[in-house]
Amino acid sequence: MIGKAIHTLLQRGNIAKAVDSLPVETNELGFDPWGLHPDRAKLYYAVASLIYRYFRPVIHGIENIPKGRVLLVGNHSGQLPFDGLVVTMACLLHGTPPRLPRPMVERWFAVLPYINILFSRGGAVLGDPINCRNLLEAENAILVFPEGVKGSGKTWWHRYQLAQFGRGFMRLALQTNTPIVPVAIIGGEESIISVYDFKPLARLLKTPYAPIPPHLFLVGLLAFWPLPVRFHIYFGEPMYFTGPFDDEDEVIDRKVKQVTDRLQKMIDDGLAKRRSVFR
Amino acid sequence: MSEQGIAIITGIAGGLARMVGAALAERGFQVVGVDYRKVSDPPDFALQIYQANYNKTLIEDIFRRHRPTHVLHLGRVGNLKEQAGKRFDLNVLGSRKVMDLSLKYGARRLVVLSTFHIYGAHPHNHIPIYEDEPLRAGTEFPQIADAIQFDNQAVTWIYRHRDLPTVLLRPCHIVGPNINNTISRFLRLPVIPVPMGFSPMTQFIHEKDIVAAIVAATVGEAPGVFNVAGKSPIPWLEAVSLTGARVVPVPSSLAALALRASTRVSSAFPPYMVNFFKFPCVISDAAFRKAFDWAPRVPERETIVSTVRGY
Repeated sequence: MIGKAIHTLLQRGNIAKAVDSLPVETNELGFDPWGLHPDRAKLYYAVASLIYRYFRPVIHGIENIPKGRVLLVGNHSGQLPFDGLVVTMACLLHGTPPRLPRPMVERWFAVLPYINILFSRGGAVLGDPINCRNLLEAENAILVFPEGVKGSGKTWWHRYQLAQFGRGFMRLALQTNTPIVPVAIIGGEESIISVYDFKPLARLLKTPYAPIPPHLFLVGLLAFWPLPVRFHIYFGEPMYFTGPFDDEDEVIDRKVKQVTDRLQKMIDDGLAKRRSVFR
Repeated sequence: MSEQGIAIITGIAGGLARMVGAALAERGFQVVGVDYRKVSDPPDFALQIYQANYNKTLIEDIFRRHRPTHVLHLGRVGNLKEQAGKRFDLNVLGSRKVMDLSLKYGARRLVVLSTFHIYGAHPHNHIPIYEDEPLRAGTEFPQIADAIQFDNQAVTWIYRHRDLPTVLLRPCHIVGPNINNTISRFLRLPVIPVPMGFSPMTQFIHEKDIVAAIVAATVGEAPGVFNVAGKSPIPWLEAVSLTGARVVPVPSSLAALALRASTRVSSAFPPYMVNFFKFPCVISDAAFRKAFDWAPRVPERETIVSTVRGY
């Protein structure tokens, strides 16, 4: 009965309306080939919206997201993927029309029990070039963090400095003729602060990094509770690239640099405008 | 000889080969069935049924006697109850012999049935997997080596012998009321153990659809390697819940043990199947659909439910 009541409630809100408006092709049981189940995703996004509200994000330039296929390229930070969640929820709640950027998740998420189910029902997809290509060709929006775990596992000393981008996202954009929208995410670096990456522990836990927050020894595991910082999300104007996708690395690197330069500038501008991490 | 030709079908003791035989007989083929196992209940449609090891002299006698126009090698041994040596003998040496004899006795078309198991279910698999991708199952499970060699040998054959158009099919999980393979038996269990916290997208193809696909490959013209899948993938837990069985989640480290201990499936349960209940292996059959103008018809729910209820 409680389940039914929750289901009824979920069908009414903004999230339900946004999810219902998404052009997702599903089978008779309601799943798309990657495991997204829009009806169940409503529950996940309702929960995600609580986290979204916790960070009180201010969204700038969401109208820059073009119709059809698009690669949203963001700066990664914050140890846990709250940045991906906030950008996804922003596109779902404020996109005109609502969009569901399919987050490309790290390979190790696929082996985490339950988490892997939760992520795929919500629309996340294993970060793999072929998954990405197929989704773009189906006119999806894809959210990528080309820094990978080097970005999310960044320590405080490297905050808001982009780690080296891979070339994969640029080759995909060229191959599928997809515009790139740079997305500067301000606030993620302060949500969970890491002052040291304890590599032996990461190896033991089989995680890509093991962050040590500065107040870990004072408050214990509570140190991993994200601080209520305010996120500012800046969607840049779309960037269009042309040329062969299998061009020499140096040519691709030059194009990647245009994206990183633009993104770094957006980050720097965003930081300059920010009055406080909590406001 | 019939108007359509003579088709030799291996694996005729199995439910799938029988259905394919019946479908081809209906289309006017004369059907000759062969199996290394005893065929207890010979089907009416067959001109002749033989029990013969695919790697022994009798198989050549059968080809010499009937001079098939079409050869359907559907008799790969997937059952791990058979010793590895015997599986190598039948699947690798025997298949090679069936393919050589098809060429020697002037067959016009050869269809070989492989499996998508050889791609392996893996956490790093993208969706979908295409025909030209690496076969990773062997890296974790050497028990599947004979199936990979069976497939590789047929792929090489296709490019070496263009004068005998050959189709190699890699279907996903074949299920249905008349199918008695591991996955179908597993879905019919009253209690089904599942690895805790995993529910990968899984593809099933109903027996009616795979029969139609094999018939299309037999009477069609394109050669090549093709994946074949059903309507669309569904999560493994959804499939299990559609069976009506009691679902028992077990810690994934114990899943292999629990699955093997399940009644009836027991020792025949291939260890690599555990990964299919944890990680995705979703194939694209777009190339097959295009080449043979074929599409699956049985919906996802009916595919599972009919397997369990038997109709």
